[in-house]
Amino acid sequence: MARKVMVVDDDEKTVKFLTAALEENGYEAISAYNGKDGLEMIQNEKPDLAILDVMMPKKTGFVLFKQLRRDENLKNMPIIMLTGVAEVLEDLDAGSGDTHERPFDSLREAMRKSINEMREEGLVKPDMFIDKPIDPELVIEKVRELIGS
Amino acid sequence: MLVNIKIFWKLSGFFLITILLFLLIIHNTSDLLNLNLTESILKNIFQFIFILVLAIAVSAGFAWLFVRYFINRPLSRLVDGMNNLADKEFDFRLSEDEKDEFGLLSASFNDMASMLSSSVIELKKNRDYLSSILESSADIIITVSASGKIQMINTGAEAALGYRRFDIVGKPIKLLFADVKERDKAIDKLKYADSVVNFETQFKTKDGEIRDVLLTLSRLRNPTGGIIGTIGISKDITEEKRLQTQLLQSQRYAAIGQVFTGIQHSMKNMLNALKGGAYMVKIGLAKDKRTMLEEGWEIVQEGIDSLTEMSMDMLRYVKEYKPKLDQVDLSDALSEIYRVISKTAGDKGISLDLNISSELPKVMCDARMIHSVIMDIVSNAIDACAWKNYNGVEKPHVSMRAYPDKNNEDFIIEIKDNGIGMTEEVKSNIFNPFFSTKSRAGTGLGLSISARMIGVHGGEIEVESKPDRGAMFKIVLPLNGPGKNKETSNGQKSYGS
Repeated sequence: MARKVMVVDDDEKTVKFLTAALEENGYEAISAYNGKDGLEMIQNEKPDLAILDVMMPKKTGFVLFKQLRRDENLKNMPIIMLTGVAEVLEDLDAGSGDTHERPFDSLREAMRKSINEMREEGLVKPDMFIDKPIDPELVIEKVRELIGS
Repeated sequence: MLVNIKIFWKLSGFFLITILLFLLIIHNTSDLLNLNLTESILKNIFQFIFILVLAIAVSAGFAWLFVRYFINRPLSRLVDGMNNLADKEFDFRLSEDEKDEFGLLSASFNDMASMLSSSVIELKKNRDYLSSILESSADIIITVSASGKIQMINTGAEAALGYRRFDIVGKPIKLLFADVKERDKAIDKLKYADSVVNFETQFKTKDGEIRDVLLTLSRLRNPTGGIIGTIGISKDITEEKRLQTQLLQSQRYAAIGQVFTGIQHSMKNMLNALKGGAYMVKIGLAKDKRTMLEEGWEIVQEGIDSLTEMSMDMLRYVKEYKPKLDQVDLSDALSEIYRVISKTAGDKGISLDLNISSELPKVMCDARMIHSVIMDIVSNAIDACAWKNYNGVEKPHVSMRAYPDKNNEDFIIEIKDNGIGMTEEVKSNIFNPFFSTKSRAGTGLGLSISARMIGVHGGEIEVESKPDRGAMFKIVLPLNGPGKNKETSNGQKSYGS
């Protein structure tokens, strides 16, 4: 049976080419366009891996991520987050929150806050961060690394 | 020393000589004149004269003593007092024991001396006060003679310029100017007024360092109005200028950084579509899958469209906004927008309503610009609803209203939604170019362009919003157009709630 991958992103184009790439590589792809529908679908379908966008309507990617990690049945599911957050994580791991401070960068600030909260709760970090623009081939490669073909 | 004593001796001498001459004449001429003066008469005369001389000598002696003790002594004390005053010993006082005119004179001398002493103290106090003001001022205070030579510099000047008083007093003032022509320029200005205020120039310190200063230069005149020089009070503004430049620079960097971040963010999303679309095209071609190829190509085209839109927006943003003004019935524009948007809103489950009275006044405006502003704000309202997770009875809703204000001066278009709303931070940034809370839709230029368009109409966009409580945008347009008395604004305004 094909391994199942969930894509949650409010951008139709991204959902379209990611599901196309996943299906092309032998995975079963399911998708949702917002965090609320995404959670429901993940709970019902129990995919092997979830790819979550960060900025989404009706529940951001980080909120969805936290809910999944807190769920006993889902907490071990590998999660890829579609955002360039690696830098922020590096900052946090290095123990300094301000080295990459740029003015008006409220998105980064929100991410940093979310990640801090996750760390305080002791939640396992997402398995991977992939920044946009997304290279579909890279996503497939990473999915393969995490759950196999 | 005392004139009166000398006079006394002269007078006494004169009397004695006269008497002796008289005696001699009588003694030698009595025979010649054949005066039958008997021995006894002569003897009597001599006796008389002797007594007279003795009496004169004794009274002269008494007079001398009198003068010595009652005139000369007090007078010499007065003279001493005068000399003491002349030597600036203002504390010197005379004894007022004598009950005569000298006593009175001494008393008035003492009065004069104490008056003098207190005015000298007063003067000294004033002088000390003034010089302490000069000295304690951190400003650079320099007085210059009419010939351009430095006469006085204060401690502030020493500290700021690195010179000691004795180095610089008497030297030409031009020495202190970084550019010698600057001094002439400042002096030139004094031709028209007695002072030049806040003349910005540069001084050179002893070490050759340049200091930025604000110089206030005033003419110094003597009591009759003749020019005796100038006084310059300068404030060292080097540090302020440096900070100001630094601030400007960092503000510029911040603004550029914000623009770059915004452009990068928009481009990232467009590139994302292009990259994904290209991948599908590649697979479609390689595996001869026509649907995949077509879908991929469509995504690529959408990406190209977004890039085109962004470049157009950027062009629109930088160009000058010149509204083509006309009397416009905006209810047409509102109805058209309502027709176009209610379809897309409906697809997302969002209800839209339009509330306008049948008789709206015409507005002096550029119909095309206002149309694009309303369109932009309504689209934002729809997005704000699409992003919200509605619970319970509340349903996503956007309403549009248009009405003239109470005074019939402004025309108001109100667009209200019950969507996700905005935090204070977001609200204060929405009119900034490239600020966007949406991850992919738009370029982040929409509202800043809208605000400028309304601004050139002499109107403004007002915003009220709270997180999760929706937002209300009010486009306020003067009914009669921009008008001459109304300055065009940046067209933005936001409220707490």
